[in-house]
Amino acid sequence: MLRLDRVTHFFDQRLVFKDISLLIEPGRVTLLAGPNGAGKTTLMNIISGLIKPSAGLVEHRLSRDRMAFLGHSTFVYPGLSALDNLRFWAKVYCRRLNDDDIMQLLRLVGLKAFAYEKAGYFSRGMSQRLSLARVLMLKPDLLLLDEPGTGLDSDSRKLLRSKIKDCARAGAAVIWVSHTLEEDLDLTDRILFLENKKQAFYGTTQAFRSWRQGKDVEH
Amino acid sequence: MLNIRFLCLTVKDLKLIFSDGSGIIQPVLLGLILVFVFSLSTPIGEEVTAQAAASIFWLATSFALILVFNTLYSMEETNQARTGLLLSPMPLQHVWVSKALTGMLLLLLAQLFFFPAIIVFLGQENMAGWWTLLGVILLVDWGLVAVGSLLGAVSQGHAARDSLLSVVIFPLLIPLLLAGIRMGAHLLGGADDENLGAWGGIAFSFGAVFTGAAIVLFPFIYNEY
Repeated sequence: MLRLDRVTHFFDQRLVFKDISLLIEPGRVTLLAGPNGAGKTTLMNIISGLIKPSAGLVEHRLSRDRMAFLGHSTFVYPGLSALDNLRFWAKVYCRRLNDDDIMQLLRLVGLKAFAYEKAGYFSRGMSQRLSLARVLMLKPDLLLLDEPGTGLDSDSRKLLRSKIKDCARAGAAVIWVSHTLEEDLDLTDRILFLENKKQAFYGTTQAFRSWRQGKDVEH
Repeated sequence: MLNIRFLCLTVKDLKLIFSDGSGIIQPVLLGLILVFVFSLSTPIGEEVTAQAAASIFWLATSFALILVFNTLYSMEETNQARTGLLLSPMPLQHVWVSKALTGMLLLLLAQLFFFPAIIVFLGQENMAGWWTLLGVILLVDWGLVAVGSLLGAVSQGHAARDSLLSVVIFPLLIPLLLAGIRMGAHLLGGADDENLGAWGGIAFSFGAVFTGAAIVLFPFIYNEY
């Protein structure tokens, strides 16, 4: 579905990372992990097409309307109601949904009672739930998640994780940037670990656990 | 088939503007204050010339333009909705068209207030050719919103975005404003201008050039990430 081949990126003269290679397949959850500043978000921006890599190849056969992004930024318009926000994004992505369909989505994320309230009055968690509803509405083939759990309470995080699982079960490829590695490993099929400006590990979750244990012993 | 998906952006922007009203109240008030203050500069009993009235009308419109496009583009910066648009399948030219259309509607709304103010405060009574006047306003507004929508995107993401837009936009608008003032003066009845058609041609060319430039340049400008 998506392949990165020896992707390298610089910001001006500063190397962010080099030679990242990755294969993303449908129904698989891939976690991007690494310390702060390792370039996870930059890599995500390259995968999403927001920025072009300085070198290397990004290959995919997906049109933009089959991708969805959920990150720190919610893309929520505070002056619109929850319902109007979803109506708007449905039109932008040419999804034919009626209000009942949208209400159903809002019910799924626990916001049905707030459907007609302006999103500007929502807490961070509620806005993120609304953003999750937007992503679920799009039924993407490729789901990009950039630390979507930041600032969420445990219930919202549980909901988020269960919906990510559902998306993967439905056949979507999920790429996930996470800082809560231990918590999210169970959901993951593959891990790409960035360290020292390069790909320190790429493989299955099981292999990652062994790799990490080996690293701990070394230290 | 004509793709009118950009209309969903226009509808969304209008809903946001009218949800709290500040996006339209500010430009209308600023324009009205401008007309009122200029009216005080005329000694009692003396009339304001049609050319001065037309100048004040287009000046008020230009200030309204700056405020309108700052508001329209800053709405996309909240919660980084702009990133959402960049990631969406919608062609970026749709964003420019939609913002230009919304800007045009808001500008026309503001002018609905400016026009009576010009008549009342600046004593313009000899107007002729309402339809021609409307045509001139639409023609000049087209050029204004074409530039406003293009440069509104340029100034986003800059801390000094309000001043940046003013600094960049006013020098560019000079030929268009000049055309608007000369045609306005003619229609307000004060000036005798045989070159009305030529000024109309300048306004039309201005709109056409900036529309063409925006269609080509806008995706590069807006895509800066």
